[in-house]
Amino acid sequence: MKRLLTVLALAAAPLAASAAADPWAGVPLAERPEPGLPNLDGVWAMPRPITALKTLDGKAPPLTAAGQAAYAKNRAALKAGEDPVSKCWMQGVPRLIYAPYPLLISQERNRINFVHETNHTFRIVTLKKPLPKVDEDLDPAWLGYSAGRWDGKTLVIDTVGFNDKTWLDYSGLPHSDKLKVTERYRLTKAGAIEGRVTIDDPEMFTRPWTTGFTLVRKPGYELKESVCVRDHKM
Amino acid sequence: MASRLIYSLAAGCALWSAAAFAQDIGTQTTLTEQQRAARLERQRQEMKSWEPTPPPSDPRDFTGVWEVPNPVVTLRQPDGGIPPYTPDEARETQRHIASALAGNVITDASTQCFPHGVPRLTTAPYPIRFSHMPGKILMLHEVAHNVRVIHMDRTAPPKGEPRSFLGYSTGRWDGNTLVVETTLLNDQTMLDGATSHGPRLKVTERWTKVKNANGNTDLRDVITVDDPDHFTRPFDTIRNFAFRSDMEQKFGADGLTEYSCEENNRNVPGADHIVTAR
Repeated sequence: MKRLLTVLALAAAPLAASAAADPWAGVPLAERPEPGLPNLDGVWAMPRPITALKTLDGKAPPLTAAGQAAYAKNRAALKAGEDPVSKCWMQGVPRLIYAPYPLLISQERNRINFVHETNHTFRIVTLKKPLPKVDEDLDPAWLGYSAGRWDGKTLVIDTVGFNDKTWLDYSGLPHSDKLKVTERYRLTKAGAIEGRVTIDDPEMFTRPWTTGFTLVRKPGYELKESVCVRDHKM
Repeated sequence: MASRLIYSLAAGCALWSAAAFAQDIGTQTTLTEQQRAARLERQRQEMKSWEPTPPPSDPRDFTGVWEVPNPVVTLRQPDGGIPPYTPDEARETQRHIASALAGNVITDASTQCFPHGVPRLTTAPYPIRFSHMPGKILMLHEVAHNVRVIHMDRTAPPKGEPRSFLGYSTGRWDGNTLVVETTLLNDQTMLDGATSHGPRLKVTERWTKVKNANGNTDLRDVITVDDPDHFTRPFDTIRNFAFRSDMEQKFGADGLTEYSCEENNRNVPGADHIVTAR
């Protein structure tokens, strides 16, 4: 909590003094948003951090029996102080987005880079390659393997190939390595990002379900160095 | 008194002569000359497939994945000479090299999953992806998910900016060379596996796209290390990064493999033969 307060305090840092008239001056063409597409470049944050994910209509996620058992186990671990995040492990997707830290988006023609302040974790989403085949040759990854595309003016990202060591949220909501996450990002008229995340994991949930959140811009904010190391001797 | 005596001895005997540093950390090898030549030839052949698609033609567009083909972590100068150590730093660096040669692993920030520091991060043997955006250039490093943000929209760090492992980097274009100046580095990192630095360290990098002998494109980084507390004068070390669009086609996140230092770090102090340098 102390860390969160520090970050919020630093958020009031002064704006860049020399904001050029054309913000795109010096940015190569391939690194600018395609004409007609929304521009997500910049620093964003969630105004109200989310502890426990709900479905869009405010209900509890539809856990299977196995999911309920795993959830109970995770909540016991949480009480015992054994949230995987406390080991400084990567949070996984979508939990990384819910971390109470800002994130920076660098949008290119062919990929979207997400740089999260929390423990300097980044995710590169390709827009030009298909998802890899999930089989025993694919190393399970903390952040999975992502492939994105533009569906009209909505950025759609599919992610598969996760390990099963992370939680979906801060309440311990479980997932298995069968998890498939689909994120949808749309710019609202007010300039916020409306996010929709669909969780598809037949081991833990009876059906795919969708949750939502909003990201707002933090103009002029610069990501701070955030480091999480549990065992060290410095 | 003792330290002054050692200082004068060191200065008088030139303990930090090149011969004393003949074996850098990380350069020990069991390869014969023949094997080494064969390996270089193999790499020359492999290199032909490194650029299935060329990098952007714009000399100021560094987008893509870059990797040093024969990484050297030590701070050799362009002529192969050792850095101009102060006597104290020469002694400390030699102590660490001797410890490593005796089979110990020198821990520093990087081996404990802290950000590597600059230029240790740049010289780490892992690929980097560059991304440009308004006012910033990102360097996304595979190794331990280090991220550097180069502030093109500032000429100096903001007032009150704290010291950090990666410091604060401002950038500007000098022709088609990206000049990055980094200051406000904390003194918890090392410059390579053996040499330390202090809080007055200033690192200047000059990144330029150049054609190499094979006709491929390299990204050359001329790194100037300036730390009056550890070196008698500023000095350069150079790295040439190859463009690796082949990796982009083969591997997961557009050329970078997920690297979680925190998952299973074997270099935490306390294990056998792990000694703390800093």
